Amino acid sequence: MFATNLKIAKVHLTSKIKQTVVALLGVMFGISMYVFMNSFMTGVNDVQTDLAFTSLAHIHIYNDGPADNTNLVKRVYKGKDVAINIRNAKVIQYTEGIKNTQEILDLVRKQPEVIGITPQVNINVFFRNGSNKVNGTLSGVDVDNENRLFNISTYMTNGTWNSLQYRHDGVILGLDLAQQLSLNINDNINVLTSDGVSRNFKVIGIYQTNVKGVDKSKAYVNISSARQLLSKNQDYVTDLQVNINNFEKTAPVVARLAPVIPYKVESWQTANQQLEAGSKLRDIIAMAVSLTILMVAGFGIYNIMNMTINEKIREIAILKAMGFSGRDVTEIFLVQAVVVGIIGGVIGMILGFVIADIVNHIPFKIGGLNNLPMAYHPKDYIMAFTFGLITTLVAGYLPARKASKIDPVDIIRG
Amino acid sequence: METNIALKADHIIKYFYEPQKFQVLKDVSFEVKKGEFLSLTGKSGSGKSTLLYVLSTMDTNYEGELFINGEKLTGQSQNNLAAFRNEHIGFVFQFHYLLPEFSALDNVMLPAMKLNKKSKQEIEDKAYKNLKLLGLEDQALKLASKLSGGQQQRVAIARALINDPSIIMGDEPTGNLDSKNTQVVFDIFKELAHEQGQTIITVTHDDDFARNSDRIIDMSDGVIIRHH
Repeated sequence: MFATNLKIAKVHLTSKIKQTVVALLGVMFGISMYVFMNSFMTGVNDVQTDLAFTSLAHIHIYNDGPADNTNLVKRVYKGKDVAINIRNAKVIQYTEGIKNTQEILDLVRKQPEVIGITPQVNINVFFRNGSNKVNGTLSGVDVDNENRLFNISTYMTNGTWNSLQYRHDGVILGLDLAQQLSLNINDNINVLTSDGVSRNFKVIGIYQTNVKGVDKSKAYVNISSARQLLSKNQDYVTDLQVNINNFEKTAPVVARLAPVIPYKVESWQTANQQLEAGSKLRDIIAMAVSLTILMVAGFGIYNIMNMTINEKIREIAILKAMGFSGRDVTEIFLVQAVVVGIIGGVIGMILGFVIADIVNHIPFKIGGLNNLPMAYHPKDYIMAFTFGLITTLVAGYLPARKASKIDPVDIIRG
Repeated sequence: METNIALKADHIIKYFYEPQKFQVLKDVSFEVKKGEFLSLTGKSGSGKSTLLYVLSTMDTNYEGELFINGEKLTGQSQNNLAAFRNEHIGFVFQFHYLLPEFSALDNVMLPAMKLNKKSKQEIEDKAYKNLKLLGLEDQALKLASKLSGGQQQRVAIARALINDPSIIMGDEPTGNLDSKNTQVVFDIFKELAHEQGQTIITVTHDDDFARNSDRIIDMSDGVIIRHH
């Protein structure tokens, strides 16, 4: 029986080829736009994420500094009727940086989600060259791990990242910082810490992340040199940067680590809520746009199916007079919708890919980009196809149901 | 119910509601025997076509009861009736009503494909046989829309016969045919009725056609005025 209905559906589709093509174009356009919009949005999001995580780790462990001790007396005398006057309060004992680094490193590495961790010694310093002075951060890093987390080596414009491993007298500067100090590779730079320690380094590399705040104020040295600058031991670390496999899912890891590590454990979301908001908003826009496109396409299909059924109303009546049931009629028109959905979907995915590829080649030279970003995730294509098929089914089912309810006598008697 | 009764109409009453309430059939009752060739005649508006549509089970909006082959069809669901029509009733419409995008052969085969009791090959053979009977074997693969009116009507008759229905109903089945083909169709109907025991009910304006059938029911203003 199904074979017969299939045959009728096939004849309907092939006898009015123009109409079928219009229906196909509707689905195709909807799905290709869906694919393209999603690829584009995902591409933009990925770039944004990449840019954000050039200097930002997923989880940051650091010593949060001393607690608020401006009013110690209040801890003892809680009553409101105590007048307190303390001036020039001084903290006399305060540990800087992270102690027992090795233990914390081991603990964090044991977490299954963790894909990388790197210790840093970050120092606020003055970079000096002649009479030029720039305030910035000197970051003592574990060369290999730092690169694993932040891909710094890909941002090098001059020199190589790895040379930092062997050159304890070397420093790698941000491009803007170097320009501000009129420095070039192999020049000397003087670094002055807040404790008054001054030391000369040699510029062995220049990088550019395109995040201006970083390029303007950050320089990298080997972690041992940084420790030496602070006269600290070989275990001294100010920050631990941790990356996990899915940057969205920081919450459970933070929840697990925070109670057992006696330092501040902070996810990137908490530290940079504006980034998270931006990313979420773009996701919502992408979804709204693609749903709108699919709905418009759905209406198109609905219209065309409706038109087809109105045109074929006599034939439906004849089929019913000959003994075809309402279900058969629904089946006949649903099969047409599914065929249009599948063919339109496949062509739509291909077209979507082509459009995405073309747009991907449009030059866009801002912030380190060369062309418009684009992502090619199979997920987007599967989603587009599934949604497209569902839309076609719904859009085809409604008119098909109407057709199944046609009373043959009404039509045949005229 | 006697076994030799093919169709029984019991106090059939039907109204039209558009443009205003109007009684088309006024308490029509009659029986048709198996193997009988019956003609329904009457002037335009006498209700004979309306009666035929009620008998065909397509029109369910009536009062009274309808039995075919002893089975009560009044009150059954549309889908049941469709299945019943498919197997037991062959219908030839006044204006042939073929599916224009299908070949003549496909049109003839469709009801049998729907019934799905024979292999495709058997159905095709039978369809060819029916078309040949009506002198259309060389038109079999043409699209229905490319056939002339008379040819289309004969294809519709071939289609009505495909499932060997126990009752064949025709609304002016020879209305578009020349006298030669009318005779051919008449002979086929007569043979089906008398030799294969299939019941034929036709609505016709053709007095000769009616006169040569087994029985005539003459209608006027929704009542049967004469049985011959």
